[in-house]
Formats: sequence, C-alpha cells, structure tokens
Amino acid sequence: ATLAACGSGVAARQGGSGEPRQGGDLTFLIDSLGDTWIPNNSAISSFQGHIWGHVTDKLVYVDENGKTSPWVAREWEQNETATEFTLRLREGVTFSDGTPVDASAVVANLDTWSKGAPDKGINPIGLFPKTYQRSEAVDPTTVKVFFSAPALGFIPTLGYHGSILISPKTLALPAEEQADLSNDIGSGPFTVQSWKQGDSVVLQKRPDYDWAPEALSHSGPARLDTITYKIVAEPSLRTAAVRSNQADVAYNPSPQELASFKAQGFTTAAPRYLGFVSGFAINTKVAPYDDPRVRQALQHGIDRQEIISTVYTEDWLPAKSFFQSNVPGATDRSADFAFDAAKSARLLDEAGWARGADGLRSKDGKALELTLHPNPYLATSKSVDELVAQQLRELGFTVNIQAFDVVTYGERVKFNSPSVAAYEVTRSIIDAGTVAGVLTDANRGENWFGLGQSDPELVRLSAAVAGSSSTEERAPLLDELQGHVLRQGYYIPLTQIVQRLYVQTPKLQGVTYNGVAYANYYTAWLGE
Amino acid sequence: MSGGYGRYAAGRVAQAVVVVLLAYAFTFVVISVLPGDPVTSTLRDPQNGFTEEEIAAIVAYYGLDRPVHEQLWESLTRFLVGDFGVSLRSGLPVADLVGEVLWSTVVLALSALAVALVLAFAVAAGVRYLPPNRGQGVLRAFPSLFLSVPNFVIGLLLINVFAFQLGLFRVIDSEGPLATLFAAIALGIPVSAQVAEVLIANLDHEAGQEYASVARSRGLGRTGLLFRHLLKPSALPVVTVVALTVGELLGGAVITEKIFGRTGVGSLVERSVTTQDLPVLQAVVALAAVVFVVVNLAADLVYPLLDPRVRSGVAAARERAGVAA
Repeated sequence: ATLAACGSGVAARQGGSGEPRQGGDLTFLIDSLGDTWIPNNSAISSFQGHIWGHVTDKLVYVDENGKTSPWVAREWEQNETATEFTLRLREGVTFSDGTPVDASAVVANLDTWSKGAPDKGINPIGLFPKTYQRSEAVDPTTVKVFFSAPALGFIPTLGYHGSILISPKTLALPAEEQADLSNDIGSGPFTVQSWKQGDSVVLQKRPDYDWAPEALSHSGPARLDTITYKIVAEPSLRTAAVRSNQADVAYNPSPQELASFKAQGFTTAAPRYLGFVSGFAINTKVAPYDDPRVRQALQHGIDRQEIISTVYTEDWLPAKSFFQSNVPGATDRSADFAFDAAKSARLLDEAGWARGADGLRSKDGKALELTLHPNPYLATSKSVDELVAQQLRELGFTVNIQAFDVVTYGERVKFNSPSVAAYEVTRSIIDAGTVAGVLTDANRGENWFGLGQSDPELVRLSAAVAGSSSTEERAPLLDELQGHVLRQGYYIPLTQIVQRLYVQTPKLQGVTYNGVAYANYYTAWLGE
Repeated sequence: MSGGYGRYAAGRVAQAVVVVLLAYAFTFVVISVLPGDPVTSTLRDPQNGFTEEEIAAIVAYYGLDRPVHEQLWESLTRFLVGDFGVSLRSGLPVADLVGEVLWSTVVLALSALAVALVLAFAVAAGVRYLPPNRGQGVLRAFPSLFLSVPNFVIGLLLINVFAFQLGLFRVIDSEGPLATLFAAIALGIPVSAQVAEVLIANLDHEAGQEYASVARSRGLGRTGLLFRHLLKPSALPVVTVVALTVGELLGGAVITEKIFGRTGVGSLVERSVTTQDLPVLQAVVALAAVVFVVVNLAADLVYPLLDPRVRSGVAAARERAGVAA
C-alpha cells in the first residue's frame, strides 16, 4: 500500500534536482477559479483550493499519505472518549492584517466552519463533524473543543481543504464583502496582490512568513516572488502554452496528453486525494438490487483493469477497497471484489435471471436492468460508464446510460432515490471514521445503500467505528467493515480517483502535494 | 415640426424602456422554469455531504423557496430603482461584476467592427477590380466562406499560429494590444462577411446603372468610378447591416472571449448561464437590450444625414406624425 500511496506525486517532486533558488514568477493556467471567494462557500471547490492553499494556513497538516502533523496547532490531546480536544497553538503567527492567530481567532473559525452564517447566506463547510458543540479560548494559545459524540475524525478534518484559518475581521464582514478576495485575509505564505473575477489571481509572497508545517522541506518565506493563476478555459491552449514556454503549469490536461508530455521531458503529476474511490453506491431498495446475488454479480462483473487501460493511463491505480489506498485505515480488500465473469454468471443463474435469445437476461418477463447516471462533477465518468455498460451487457444486463447536466443531476440523482439503483460517488474524506456517517441512517446518517438499520452486521460495525476512541482500536473494525460492505455488493468500486492533473515545465522544482492533491508552491522554485 | 419630432423621440424612448423591462422579466421567467437553482446545485455537490436542513436554510436566505411571481416582482421593483442585486454564485454585487467586464467587451466589439469594415471594403473593392475570370470568383466566395467557418475555429487557428508558433503575443496577457487585435480578427471575420455581401451586391447594382455606364463611356477608370460614384450609394445599406451585427458581436464575444481568455461580458454570460446565475443574466440581457435599441435608434437617425433621398422621406414622416398629433 505504501508504494501505491507514494505514486506519481513523489515522482513529480523528485523530477528536478539542483539547489533551490530565490525569486521568480510562476504562471499557472487553470480551467476556472470557481464561483465565489466567500471562504466557507468556496472552500470545497477544487479550483479555489489552489489559492487558499497559498493564502491561508491550517491548524494541522495532512500529507499525501494522510499523515497528520502539527502546523498552527503545535500539539493536541483528547479525552478518553474522544469528545473533548485541547489544541495548543504556535505563538507569533499573524494574519496578514496584523491580527494574531490566537485562541479567540481559532474559536471564531471553528464556529464558522461548523455552523456557517445562515443569516448571511454562508453555509457550514461540508464534512465538518456534525456533533460539534462549542469551543472556548482557555488562554491565548489554548483552545478546548467539545463534541456530543466521539469525533476521532476531528483532528484530521482540521487539515482538510475547507478548514482554512481566516482573519476574524474578514469573518465579521457581510457576505458581499467576503466575496471580494482582497478582503479574505489569511496567515499563509502568500497574499493576494490583485484579482479579477473570472480572469486571474496574482499572489505575492509574504516576507515575514515563518510558520510552515515541519513536515515540509522548507521554512521561512516562500522562494517564489509571485504566483499568477490565469484562467484559460480551453484545455489544449493551456497545455500548448506550457509547451511553448508561455506558462509554467497547466492544470487538468486530458489524461491522454500525459504520455506525450513526459516523453518531451515535461514533469507531470497525478496526485490522489484522500477519499472514496470512484464507484457505485447501490440502493438496496431498488429491485432487483435487493437481492445480494445480483449485487455480487455486479461486483464481480466489472473488469477494472480494462477501465484503467482504456479510459485512463498508468497514472490511475486500481481500487483496493472503497477507500483510496492512501487513506489511513484503508486495507487491501481486492479479493472481495475481484473480476470473475464466470462467478457473476453463476450468481445470476442462481438468482433466476435466465439469458434470452439476444443474450440479455430476464426473469418473469422483466429485464435485468441497470441505469447509470454519469457523475457530471467528474469529466471521465461518462466514458467509464460506457465501458462498464459494455462489460455488463456481456453478462446479460440491459444497461441504460442517462446523462444529466449538473443542475438536473442535483435534482434527480440522489443517494437512496427510488429511481437511482447505482449512485456514482466522488467524496473526499480525511478520516476513514467519517464512513460511519454514511452507511446507515443511524444518527441522521446519509444511508447511502437504503438499508436503514436492517443489516445488523453493518450497524454493529458502523457504530463500533464511530465509537472508537483510538485508531489502534478502530483499525481491525475498519478492515472488517470494508470487507462486509464489499462482499455484500453495497459499494461497487471502479478505480482510484485522480481529480487533479498537472503538467509543468521541468524548470519548476520542489513542488509538494498535500492530502487533497493540491500543488503547494511554497516549497517550490524555478531553476535554470 | 420640432414638437412632432420630440413626441416621435419620446415615443421611441418609451418603446425602448418597455423592451428593456420585458427583456429583464422574460429572462427571469425563462430561467425560473428550468429545474433547480444555482444555490441548491452548488450545495448538492456530493462532495459537500450537507443535510437537506442545511441546504434549506441557505436556500431560504436567498428567497429561492418563495413563489416565482413574488421573486419576479421583487427583482423588477429592485431593477426600477437601479439595484441589480447580488450574484447568486459569487456573492458579489451584479453592478460591480458587469461594470468590471464592460470595457473589455466594448474594446473588443469596436475593434472587431473596425476589422470587419476594413475586410468587407477590401473584399468588395477587390471584386470590382479583378476581371471576372481571374480571381473575382474566388473573392466573391469569400463572404460565404467567412460566414461558414465558426469563429472558434478561426480563434484557435490564430492563437496556434501567432501566439504559439510565431510568439507574437502571450495567451496570459489576454488584454494586450496584439492579443486584442487577433481576438478582434476572429470575431470580425464572420461579421465582415455580412457587410461584404451587402456591399458587393450594391456595387454590382450601382455598376449596372445608367450613370455608371455614362461615367465609363467618358473614359473614367475603375478606381475613379468606384470611389467617385459607386461607393457612396452602396455604403448606405451597410449602416443598417452594421446596426444589426451588434447582436452578432455580442453573441460572438461569448466564444471569442472564452478562447482568448478575455474577461468580458461574453465570458460573464457564459459563466452565468452554466450556473443559472439569474440576477447577473437579467442585468446582462437588459444591458444587451439597451445597446440594441440605442444602436438601432442611432442608425435610424444617422441614415437621413447620409442620404438626401431618405431625408425628405423622414421629413414627410415627421410631418405626418405632426399632423396626426
């Protein structure tokens, strides 16, 4: 797992050699910079995260292997039940408006992350533990945080892309003013020099920055003088600009372009985020997927290696569980969902689904049907679904693909909807324990599989994972849980997700990728 | 007579105001009948993992849970006092968003218009100069060729050759003079086709007139004939065509701005349409309606100044208006 977890991120980091150099201006071409800069409302977006990662700091650092280490919080402790946490803050950290990053500032941020500001139209950040009660500033460098239930995921969540520390002065502003990026003050190694909505953001280094996470290879101010994020919507223009030396980094090239760039000596990076692998959550209330044999036939009927070799490239890794393999606590459960067409056919025969003259299966006059809804938030989803449909048709499934735009998708395709048998998941998480909140409907869980609390084994394992107060105690339970969900055919993994792709000039060196696959140029420099 | 003109002008302005208001309301209705709204669709991104209660609280803040007619009434009354509201996606005031991008599009549209006129006159003059069997046919095919090549193809071609191959401009510096020129060429070429078509047809028509034959029989050369006699009467209908191309320029700007990475009204529209950002769309449609109405009004008023024959016609019309009043 370790080898897989290092993957191409590390390869990219070691792409160059030579002594770090000071100065230089980096140009990064990106397809969009998202819609809004209101920190809470934008923090989840994959685009704004590039800016936040340089303008703001977090309480803890999570690296690309999911390892949590100190940052603005220099140490922390929890009570035995993991319902109370004490954070001890580093001294001397300031926002770029001069406000200290002290306990009261951290309390203001924790409250905003967990509750948002509904009276201003500002939402909470997604995935913040919903059992958060309150936090208090014990003294200027100590914060106590209280939860109504064990919250082992709390500390890792502080390193999540949503948990960005913003000056309390900014948080007090009306939403309209927070939407102006120039007003969004952080404590990061860069500050906003200028920006234009829908066009570009220019960052400049903060000369007095001196509180980088120890886990990074560099301390003190950033090496680069400025970073310009410029929107170029057309993917081929982004990569052509890097090829012709007009820009340093192109974001989101098409996967098929990676090989030719590598061959020409450019550096490419396909870091993975921490989260669920791409796959289907099966709604067990929709017939015939209420029959475990049909779900298992689906589970063993998909040739995942063919997806990687046809739609993706070698930069994509096969799924080993329903978690990406860099999530701490993810185990290798490949055997539980290995491709075995003969086994699938046998299971379907047993369940009474007989092949007709056209090779398609039916039972009591009803076709064995599956409708797939490609996830509009994932560009390659439709091609993957088409291939999966082809594979399942050979097994006798009648597969329909119904694609919607983002808006219609949001309206019609939901977890647990009676018209959606297979929901295509993309979900980043920092802590594997979060899974307990989605599998059943206990504690207002998301109930992904429509099971409610009808599967006692799943209820038992979820509750035990959620109630664990140490990762050691939790590890075997998580392993058991992953096996159970996969063997029951509740979650059908496809491949591990790479949502962020980078092509960059070989001159750019020392780039770090964090646990949510954002490129961090604090450590980077432009060589010869 | 001046009172009649004043009433005529007042009538036109009132008509324009109604058109703009209708455009504003119509945009609202069209977007409202689509399923979903920008706030909900953002929050529903499965990455977020929000509960339905959390989503409902934010939707209620923006008033998106209220009946459509209430929302429409509120947006219309706001509009009448000059308040365009706040973008549902960015959270920024709509007036700021539009104001920030307006200049870029004005520069692009005017440059594209200049490019279109120069090209159209060059092609039309070329047609008159070349003998029918040597290249004239090719030139005559230009307008339909220009019209049928989508401007994104022209744009991508120009960028690939002039930015990446020859290095004349950088895609990063999208508002620079050379980048603007090439964007204007991409946007201007299809527009030039319409102007050239009208111009060629009119030149053909004028060249067949008796006065042209007389001039030729007096020994006037091609150049003399073209510039002294044919051009002025042929150019008149061009004014009408140019007024009609405003729509083309605004529509083409959506694609041209996207390809050249410019931040203008076009790219604002593109972003707002894909995200259903209603207040922004309403403001932009109202703005486009204003531009359309004003430009066409201006064309009507300029026309008589250029052609005495029309001038007498307008005078008669004005007198009729005066008499009717």
